[in-house]
Amino acid sequence: MDLYVAALGFALVSASVIAIAAVGFTMQFGITNLINLAYGVVMITSAYVAYALNQLGVTIWAGLAAGAVCGAVLSYLLNRFLYAPFQRKGTSHIGMVIISLAASLMLTNVVLAIVGPTSVSYTQDPGPTIRIGAMVLTTVQVLIIGIAVLLMLVIHALLTLTRLGKAMRATAANPSLARSCGIPTGRVIDGVWLVTGALCGLAGTVAAMNSDSFAVSNGAGYLITILAAAVLGGAGQPYGAMLGAVLIGVMTELSAAAISPEYKEVVAFGVLVLVMVLRPQGLLAKVGALAPAG
Amino acid sequence: MTYYLTTLAVYAGVDMIACLALSLQFGTSGIVNFSFIVFQAAGAYTAAVLSLPPDTANGGFQQYILGLEAPFPLPWIGGAVVGGLLALPVGLVVLRRLRSDYQAIAMLVLTVIANTVITNARPFLNGAAGLSLVPAPLAAQLDTGAVGYQYLYVAITAACVVLVFLIAQRIVDSPYGRTLRAMREHEVAAGALGKHVVALKMTIFVVGGVIAGLSGAILVGFIGLWAPATWLYPETIVLFAALIVGGRGNNVGAILGAVLVPIGFFEATRFIPPFGPPGLIPALEWVAIGSLIIGFLWWRPAGVLPEPRHVFPPTSPLGTIPARGRR
Amino acid sequence: MGRRNNVNGLAANARPGLARLGAIALAAIVLLAACSGATSTPSAAPSAAAASAAAPTATAATPLVVGVLAPFTGPDAALGPAYFAACLPAVREINAAGGVMGHQLTCKQFDTRGDPADAVPAARQMVASTPNLMMVIGCTSDEASSVAPVLEQNHIVSFCMTGQSEFNKSSFHYFHRLVPPDEYDAYAMVGSALDFNHYQRVALVFGNDIGSQAFVAPATRALTKLGATVVINQAIALGQPSYRTEVTKMLAAKPDVIFTEALGPTDATYLAEVKQLNGSMIPVIGTSATIDPVWFKAVSAAIGLPDLLKYFQAVDVSTTFSGPGYDAFKAALLASAADFADAPKYAQRGATLHLYDGVVMTALAMDTAKSTDPAVYNPVINKIGNGVTGATVVNTYKQGVDALKAGGSVRFSGAAGLTQFNEWNNSQGGYILVKYDDKGGEVTIGQLTQDQTNQIIQAGGS
Repeated sequence: MDLYVAALGFALVSASVIAIAAVGFTMQFGITNLINLAYGVVMITSAYVAYALNQLGVTIWAGLAAGAVCGAVLSYLLNRFLYAPFQRKGTSHIGMVIISLAASLMLTNVVLAIVGPTSVSYTQDPGPTIRIGAMVLTTVQVLIIGIAVLLMLVIHALLTLTRLGKAMRATAANPSLARSCGIPTGRVIDGVWLVTGALCGLAGTVAAMNSDSFAVSNGAGYLITILAAAVLGGAGQPYGAMLGAVLIGVMTELSAAAISPEYKEVVAFGVLVLVMVLRPQGLLAKVGALAPAG
Repeated sequence: MTYYLTTLAVYAGVDMIACLALSLQFGTSGIVNFSFIVFQAAGAYTAAVLSLPPDTANGGFQQYILGLEAPFPLPWIGGAVVGGLLALPVGLVVLRRLRSDYQAIAMLVLTVIANTVITNARPFLNGAAGLSLVPAPLAAQLDTGAVGYQYLYVAITAACVVLVFLIAQRIVDSPYGRTLRAMREHEVAAGALGKHVVALKMTIFVVGGVIAGLSGAILVGFIGLWAPATWLYPETIVLFAALIVGGRGNNVGAILGAVLVPIGFFEATRFIPPFGPPGLIPALEWVAIGSLIIGFLWWRPAGVLPEPRHVFPPTSPLGTIPARGRR
Repeated sequence: MGRRNNVNGLAANARPGLARLGAIALAAIVLLAACSGATSTPSAAPSAAAASAAAPTATAATPLVVGVLAPFTGPDAALGPAYFAACLPAVREINAAGGVMGHQLTCKQFDTRGDPADAVPAARQMVASTPNLMMVIGCTSDEASSVAPVLEQNHIVSFCMTGQSEFNKSSFHYFHRLVPPDEYDAYAMVGSALDFNHYQRVALVFGNDIGSQAFVAPATRALTKLGATVVINQAIALGQPSYRTEVTKMLAAKPDVIFTEALGPTDATYLAEVKQLNGSMIPVIGTSATIDPVWFKAVSAAIGLPDLLKYFQAVDVSTTFSGPGYDAFKAALLASAADFADAPKYAQRGATLHLYDGVVMTALAMDTAKSTDPAVYNPVINKIGNGVTGATVVNTYKQGVDALKAGGSVRFSGAAGLTQFNEWNNSQGGYILVKYDDKGGEVTIGQLTQDQTNQIIQAGGS
C-alpha cells in the first residue's frame, strides 16, 4: 500500500511537469490551430540554456527564468519566420504538422552537433526531504508542484480576466470575426506564442530538474506524453490539458507500481485510446475556454 | 555496385508501394494515416514468422510465435492479409467519430503504443532484438547470394509495384474513387448525398493496410530482419514527405516521390566525403532533409506532379484541405 | 523502414530564424558536396568492390579504406565516434610505418543510424562506393545481424562489437569478434556478486533495449542455480523523465546489490533517485558497457563522484591499460586529436582498444600474406592473433613489419593484450572486476578464477 501512496506522490510531480507543458501546447493548438511537433525540441533546448547558465555558477532558479525566456523567444521566432508564413499561404493542417516536424528535425540536429549526445545534470541542492505519510518528496519537487499550481492559476486569470486573454479566446473561437471586431489578431497570436513558449521553456527546465539527468533524446518522449495529455483532456482546452496531465501522471506512476514498469506508457496511452473511442472530443470538450468549434 | 543498385531498386519498390497506399488514403481520401508504418510492420512480422522455422531452430536464440516455414508466396500473402485485418480494429477506433486532426494524433500515439508493446513483449516477436535470419523467398530452391537472385528479387518487387499501381489507378478512376474525392473535399456534403462516409473510409483504410502489409513483406524478405527500430513513427512522416514532394492524389507523383525522397535524397547524402568530427555529417543530413521538406512546401506545395484535375475542378486551391467546420 | 530515428529531441539555443538560414546554407553545401561525391566516387568502381580491392593490379599508391560501419545518429549515436577513435590511431601508426605494402590507409564512416534496415543500404553503398575497402570495424548489436551477411558475401573482413550470442558459432568466415557475447558479461556480474562480494539478493535493472535485455535471462538462470535470489527484475523504458515509482518498488524488495545497464540518461536518473529515496546509495554492479566515459560523466554528475567511486563496481574484459601495446595505442590516440578532437577521451574504452587491435592485426595479416586479396589474408588474421610456433610477439605495427622483413612470423599483442581466436573467430579473454577512479579511469579490484567462471557458466546453461 505504501508503494501506491509513494507512487501517488511522484505522480503529482510528474503531473505538474506535464501540466505546465501540456497547457502551453494545447493553447498553441487551440488558438493557432497548429499541432506544433517542435514543442518537445523547444523544451529540451530551454533546459540546455538553463544548464549552460547553471554551469557558469548561476542558481537553477535563475536558470528556470532563462529557460522560460528561451522558450518564449524560440517559439515566437519559430512562428514568425516559419509557421505564420506557411499559414498565410493556406498550407493544410497536415502540411503544417510536417513542417513542424521538419523544423524539429533540423533544430534537434543542429543542437545535437553543438552539445553532443551525452546526458547532463544540473548542479542543484534537492533540499531537505519532506515526508507526508509514505510520500517522500524533495523540496525541489514540492516547489515544482507549487510552480505548476501557480502557473495554472495565472493562466486561468489570463484567460478570464485580462483583455489579452479574452482576445485570445475570441481569436480561437473565430479569427475572422475577431478581426472584424477590431481585435488585432496578429498581435494576439504573437502574444500566444510568447506565453505558450514561456510555458514550454519552464516545462522543459522543470522536467530536467525533476529527472536528475537529461539528454537530447528526451525531447521526443516529452512530446508524446504532452500530446497524450492534451488530447485526453480535449485538444485546445487548457483545463482539459490540466486534467489530462493529472490523469497521465497518475496512471503512469500507478501502473509502474502495479505492473511491470516497461508498460507504464502503454497503460496511459491505452486509456487515451479508450477515451477516443468512448468520448472522442476529449474529456472536457465544450467546457474549456478555448473550445475550437467541433 | 550491382548489389547496391539492386538494394536501392528493392527499397525504391517498397517505398513506391507504400507511397501508393498512402496516396490512396491521404491523397485521394483525405485520411491522415500517421500509423501507416504499423501496417507495414505487421506485414513484415507476419511474413517473417510465416517463413521462419520454429523458434527452437538456430539454437533457440530468439523467441517468436508460429514459425511455419511456409513456402513463398504464402508469407507475402499472409503479410498483406494481416495488414488489412489490422486496419479493421484501428479504423473502427479512429475513423468513426474522430475529427481529422484528432485522427492524426490518435494514430501517432497508436504507433508509439504498438512499438512499445512489441519491444517489451519478447515471447511474441522477440522484443527489442527483433527477428533475424528470416529466410529469403525461395531460399531453399535458389542461391540467394547470387547476382541472379538479386535481379529476380528486383523483378518480383517490380511486378508487385506494377500490380499495386494498376489497382491504385483503377480505384482512382472508378466511381468509387470519385466518391472518395468527394468525401475528401466535403465530408458533410458527401454524407448528405447518401454516401456512407465511415464505410468509404474503412474500405480504403483496409485496402491501404493490405498494400502496406505487402510492402513490409517484400522488405523483410530482402533484408532478412525486422525489429522495432525499423518502424518508429518518424518513418511514416518521411513517406508523407515523399508524397508531398511527388504530388499527392497522383499515383505517378507518389512513385516519383518515393524515388526522390527516401531513395534519392537519403542515398545521395551517403556519398558526401567525410569532414568534421564523426556524427557531424549525419546530423547535417537530417538538417538538409528538414530543409528539403520545408523548401518544397513553400515553393511547390502541390508537389512535382500535382493531382490531375478530374471531372470537377477542386473547390479549394491545392495545398489546402478545407478546415471542415472549424470556422 | 528505418532510416530516420532522431526526429525530436533538442533544438538549438540559436534563434530559429537564424538557425533556419544557417541550416539552408548548410543544406546547400551538403547538397553540392553530395553531387560532387556522387559523380566522382562510384565511377571508380564499376564492378563489385571486393574484386577491385582484391585486385593485385592496384598500384602501390592506392590508399586502402578502413570502414567504420556503426551508428553515428539515432539513439546509439555515441557508439560510432568511439569506433572512429579506434580507427584513427591504427591508421596513423600504420601509415607512419610506411603503410601496408606501400598502401596508405584512411578511415571512413558509414552511418547505419542504429537501425538494422538502414544498415543494409549503408553497407551495400559502402561496398559499392569503396573499391579499395580493406576491412570494416563497428557493427554493433543494432546492425550486426543485417550487415554480417552482406559483408560475408563481399568477402570483407570485419571486427564487430556485437554481443549477440548468434555469433558465438556462426558460419561467417570474415566475421571477427574480440569481445565476449553479452551473456558472459552477465556471468561475470554473477561471479562478482556471489564470489567476490558475497551478496545474496540481487535486483536486475536493465534498459528495455536489445543490448541490455540480453543480460537478464543468463543472469537470472545463473543466480537461481547458484542459490542467490533475484528479488526483482525491472525492464525500464529508456529516457523517461523519472523512475521514482520503479525505484521505490525496487527498494521495497530489499536487494543487496543492483545489476544494471541502462544507457543514455537512464541509469543516471535511476541511480540518482535510488540515492534520494533510500537516503544513500546501495551497491551497484554494471556491465562492461557501463565502463565508459559517457556513462561515467552522466552518472557521476547525477549521484556525485564520491558515491560513484564507493558504491559502483563493474565487470570488464581483462584489459590492463598498460604494457607496450597499450602505450603505443595511447600515444597514437593522443596524436589523433588532430583529426578528431574527442579522440583522447576514448583512451580507456574497451571497444576502442579492441577495434584498434583488429585493424593492426589485419594489416599485419596482409603483410604476412603479401596480398591485398581478402580471401588470401583473411585466414592469416587468426595466425597473427593466436601466433604460430616460433612467432615473435610484437606490440606495434612497425615492430611487426620489421620482424616480417627479417623473415619471421609475428603474433600481435596490442592495446588489449594477446588474442586467442577460437574456430568461429571469437576471442574472449577473462573477466576482471573493476571500479572507477576519480578521473573516470578504470581500477582493477579483482579477478574471477577459471573455476569460478566455469561454475557460473555451467549454471547459466551455455
